[in-house]
Amino acid sequence: MLISAYAAMSGSYDYSEVARSVLIAILASYAALDLAGRVTAARGWVRSAWLTGGAAAMGLGIWAMHFKGMLAFQLPIPVSYHWPTVLLSLLVAILASAFALYVVSRQKLGLVRALVGSGIMASGISGMHYIGIAAMRLAATFRFHPLLVTLSVAFAIAFSFAALMLAFDLREETKQTASRKIASAIVMGAAVSAMHYTGMASVSFMPSAILPNLTHAASISSLGNNGIAIVTVIVLAAAVLTSSLDRQAEAELRHLNEELEHRVVERTTELVVVNDELKKLKDELRLVIDTIPALVWSKLPDGSADFFNQRFREYTGLPLEEGLGGGWMSVIHPEDRSKFEDEWHAALVAGETFDVEARLRRADGQYRQFLLRGVPLRDELGKIIKWYGTSTDIEERKRTEEALQEAHARLAHITRVMAMGELAAAIAHEVNQPLAAIVTNANFCLRQLANATPNLEKLREAIAEIANDGTRASAVISRIRALLQRGAPERVELDINQLIQEVNVLLRDELTRNRVSLRADLAADLPRVSGDPIQLQQVLINLVMNGIDAMRTLTDRKRELLIKSAKNHSEVFIQVQDSGEGLDPQQAERIFEPFFTTKPEGIGMGLSISRSIVESHGGRLWAESGSRGARFQFTLPTK
Amino acid sequence: MNDVAPIVFVVDDDPSVRRAIERLVESVGLQVELFASPQEFLQAWRRDVPGCLVLDIRLPGKSGLDFQRELAEANIPIPIIFITAHGDIPMTVRAMKSGAVEFLTKPFRDQDLLDAIQLALERDSARRKQDSEMATLRELYKSLTPREREILPLVVSGLLNKQIAANLGTSEATVKVHRSQLMRKMGANSLADLVRMAEKLGIRAAKPNVP
Repeated sequence: MLISAYAAMSGSYDYSEVARSVLIAILASYAALDLAGRVTAARGWVRSAWLTGGAAAMGLGIWAMHFKGMLAFQLPIPVSYHWPTVLLSLLVAILASAFALYVVSRQKLGLVRALVGSGIMASGISGMHYIGIAAMRLAATFRFHPLLVTLSVAFAIAFSFAALMLAFDLREETKQTASRKIASAIVMGAAVSAMHYTGMASVSFMPSAILPNLTHAASISSLGNNGIAIVTVIVLAAAVLTSSLDRQAEAELRHLNEELEHRVVERTTELVVVNDELKKLKDELRLVIDTIPALVWSKLPDGSADFFNQRFREYTGLPLEEGLGGGWMSVIHPEDRSKFEDEWHAALVAGETFDVEARLRRADGQYRQFLLRGVPLRDELGKIIKWYGTSTDIEERKRTEEALQEAHARLAHITRVMAMGELAAAIAHEVNQPLAAIVTNANFCLRQLANATPNLEKLREAIAEIANDGTRASAVISRIRALLQRGAPERVELDINQLIQEVNVLLRDELTRNRVSLRADLAADLPRVSGDPIQLQQVLINLVMNGIDAMRTLTDRKRELLIKSAKNHSEVFIQVQDSGEGLDPQQAERIFEPFFTTKPEGIGMGLSISRSIVESHGGRLWAESGSRGARFQFTLPTK
Repeated sequence: MNDVAPIVFVVDDDPSVRRAIERLVESVGLQVELFASPQEFLQAWRRDVPGCLVLDIRLPGKSGLDFQRELAEANIPIPIIFITAHGDIPMTVRAMKSGAVEFLTKPFRDQDLLDAIQLALERDSARRKQDSEMATLRELYKSLTPREREILPLVVSGLLNKQIAANLGTSEATVKVHRSQLMRKMGANSLADLVRMAEKLGIRAAKPNVP
């Protein structure tokens, strides 16, 4: 090749090298777009690492493209490169890249910022380019074509602007961005190449005789040339791969995060629903507890109260804080308090349900009868963790019960009086027997005393008998009087056999008169029962009189009445059996109904009252038709 | 006849009343036997012992009135004094109609009971006397010949010997012999005597076959 001193040296391009440089530009662009996403996604020191690494890889890429482009340009004279300047150009490229990455990874990218950014970035790239040219050491001088230089700078700005916008746009990584990213990389790579080759075209090399200063200069062998390309590609590939792995990991993490968030949202929604339901339920329960017609409370295992419902507070007028602990005891009537405390403490100690009646003070100071009941709540180990209870107002019921009892007592008394009326003849007989003996004995005594020599031994005997018979008559009268009196029912310990004997004495004449023979089969070791002797005698009299009535028309067989007493588990069992016609099975239950009677002159109250008397003693009274006659039986619980 | 001392039988289920009666009756020198039930009394009673029965109306198993009827049916003619602690008018009427001596309500006056016992013993004694007279009469009657028995109703109907003879178709003399035999055998002092005896024996005056 001829070297002219006046004409610019004509250079030629090795097009395969050009192609490689364009490829590197595209790769570098792709890496830049890719890394922008990473930098944006990362935070803290990871972000700085990505920024630094990214900038290095991207800067290297741009620089390598440039250098490749330079090497593709072949001049007829040898060219060396001043390597410190080459390194400076690399540094500028890296700084420009770092700046670019920083700009696109910001939250916002306005037009002004994009323009300023692209200006700075363009000046970096242009700077790198021209510094790279300045690193050339060859026997020629540079001449720059101003229009083409301007054009190359304009390209750089346009390229930078486009790069920033594209990178900013593509930094949010989605699936669709991959193809767009490749397209954008191709565009950007082309733009970088265009800027470079425009810049190269703006330089003309004038031959010079002056030998270049070759200090720190090095020529690039083809091996070195290819080495740069290979290292660059490796670095870029490594950057893209790392970025891709990181992205995948991040994507996975994000996916997990999203899933987690989704679950959290779902669970939160569920919890909100459940909470709402719970609150509704709680409100409903509270409403129920507050409005049920009872005073509701709960107490701790030691007996101190920890809850009262609204009705309790309203009834007692006691503020919640005063009632809690042991304060609620103050509303119990002083007379009922010790009994209540005993029951309550017994229940606490035994851990058993309790059930006690007591008067509770209303807010206005009036006391009303309440039924207090409590049950323990236990944990799975059986330990009591709480006591729940209600107090129910039974004032009205109590009054009704009392009135009913009173009415019952009156009715029982009336029937007793009626029974006594029926028994008047028998009773007169029982009183007249001892009276007859008394009068006769007394007359005997008078006669003896009228004698000159009274038989003193006989006198003494007669007088002793008078005293005995007087006592006997008096006993009969007091029994009758007791039956006719209307006293409050009482509970005393009594011997049923003795009661049966007394009834036999009262009814002996009635039995005799009706030619009824009475047989008593009484258990010897009968336990005592607690009861009202008058009421129980009334039951026995009623059953015996019924037996007599049932046999009144009997002519074909013996009129026999059997009274039996026996011990039966924890009960005393009494049976009165006649030998009459027996009971019509259909009547066996009806006879206990009030005003039901099978007797022409009966009023139908006897058995009804007898049954309620027995039941008030905790026993049962029933009738059976035996093999012969009717069998009335009742039980009484023993103490 | 009266050489055996009468006994006052007492049947009452009340021992106290029984003993009181015993004391009272013994104090007037009478013998007393006490029984709690009619059965015990029946076992102890002997026909040849004179006495009376003090009977309570109310007895275990049966009433005193029923027992009275049973005694009558068994031909035990003992005089009965009823005592009762509670008697009513129908009961009293029934007892008295059935031949009771007295019906006393407890408590009774001692003298009332003693009087009733006295009366009952007298009645028993009288009955026994009457019974023995009847027995004698029957024995005498048995000793008569058939012809004498034949003319007895005609004699007590007040017919003359001639009329009797005409009735029997025999002679007046024969009738006269039979008649004196009859009077002698029967121990009758007069016609009136014989009429009374015939009445006791239940022999009614014959309707004469007057020609």
